Amino acid sequence: MGRRNKGCRFTAWVRVIGTVLFAGSTDLPALDLGSTDRQLHGFVSQGFVYTTKNQLFGESRKGSVDFTEVGVNASARLLPNLRMSAQGLYRRAGNSDTQGLRLDFAQLDYSLPFLDSSATAGVRAGRVKVPFGLYNDTRDVIWTRPTVLLPQSVYFDTLGLRQAMIAADGGELYGRYSFGEHSFGAELMVAEPQYDTGGATTFLTGLPNATGSLTGRPALIGRAVYEWMGGRGRLMFTAVDLDIEFKSGSAAVPSGKIAVIYPLFSMQYNGELFSLTSEYGWIDSRRSGFVPTPLSNTTESFYVQGEYRVASNWTAVLRYDEFHVNRDDPNGKTGSALTGLPRHRFYAKDVTVGARWEFVRDWLIAAEYHHIDGTAWLSTEDNPSLARGGGSADWDMLTLMMSYRF
Amino acid sequence: MQVYDAAGRAAGLSNEALREVFFMRLTTWPNGSPIHVMVLPENHPLHIRFAKEVLGVYPFQLRSAWDRLIYSGTGLAPTVVENMDEMRRKLEAMPGSIGYIEKNEKN
Repeated sequence: MGRRNKGCRFTAWVRVIGTVLFAGSTDLPALDLGSTDRQLHGFVSQGFVYTTKNQLFGESRKGSVDFTEVGVNASARLLPNLRMSAQGLYRRAGNSDTQGLRLDFAQLDYSLPFLDSSATAGVRAGRVKVPFGLYNDTRDVIWTRPTVLLPQSVYFDTLGLRQAMIAADGGELYGRYSFGEHSFGAELMVAEPQYDTGGATTFLTGLPNATGSLTGRPALIGRAVYEWMGGRGRLMFTAVDLDIEFKSGSAAVPSGKIAVIYPLFSMQYNGELFSLTSEYGWIDSRRSGFVPTPLSNTTESFYVQGEYRVASNWTAVLRYDEFHVNRDDPNGKTGSALTGLPRHRFYAKDVTVGARWEFVRDWLIAAEYHHIDGTAWLSTEDNPSLARGGGSADWDMLTLMMSYRF
Repeated sequence: MQVYDAAGRAAGLSNEALREVFFMRLTTWPNGSPIHVMVLPENHPLHIRFAKEVLGVYPFQLRSAWDRLIYSGTGLAPTVVENMDEMRRKLEAMPGSIGYIEKNEKN
């Protein structure tokens, strides 16, 4: 019933947004960008995942096609400095994402140039994409990410925090200033994350099948960017600050508080043939009230990635990606001793080799091979045995994705 | 090759502002009217030269910036015209538009 209601609400939203965006437009610009003030874009991506052991996005040990991403968005300039945009998204990714159709973003954006146009300041409000790291803003679109799967240490795609990190309801102030070859930008978001979708409650409380709700003050998210030569070099710092009240829905579990600080450092160099990218961050969380004694934990995430542009439509990628559930326990010994779970649940090290090929304009095929040691970022929804001490430490994965965009 | 707009306002833009315009981040002329950006396809030799010599970036950087604007709803993509004839025609026809042409083709 809940899902049906969501679907109806979603359809109503799309209708309202569509009417506003295209009011007075006799010709829907669709694929033809004849009108530069109203644009319609989208993408259709179908993935395939095969794993030797463990499961990712469905029954991947048999080869899973349960990985689909489809999006359609409309954007309109209502006034020279006022824009409205919205995107509907359909996503399927095994048992780790069962939400189906969703309203990805719907926002009004007002900006003003000043200082002889080398600076811009603006505000956007509505359902706004969360500004986090290099890839989060458009992470469902393979055209804007280097590989079929983003580095899972930073961009969890199978864990419950994903949906809360995608987009949030609220507002954002932003600004940019350019000076010669240098440019500085900052965004500050105050918003209510979508805690009620995708299992965020279970992830943030650490309670399996937690019932209850997350409330409290809105999330604060800030991102600062320095760019050299239009992005040839890029340094970025993101911080997420959550202060959450957990209202338990079960008499057996008391309510409590969760405080999370999530800093992420990002850097990228874009040469003509090579791009080098690295991000490093950690999630510092404190839980109290619903656990016998207050619990503190700090995770650790980092990856290093190289891309080589073999030709204008061919790219090769190599990446090393590592995640620790507890920064002070990198090989999981302590975690294993405390919980009885195997050590491999507390870390993951992923070596990825991949390639992507735009075989016709706006058509893309991407493939990559992963060798992974550890299961820390795998979903227990797709791998129920992981919660019972099962799973395999060493595993391999092949992913393919084909995509069309317009 | 030169940056061109029918009203001759491009000359008044600083290099910083010009880069912001083609990255689709600066969307209005100094008088507040909307800017319409025209570009050639990503693999067109003039587009490649324009990106490298005038903006100091590679075409893939522009494409990737535009994709992020489109799919996060934070901006509009430029209009892609297929060849230089179309570029010239559209620059003359659409008020507020800006693009680039070969120098000897202007008159």
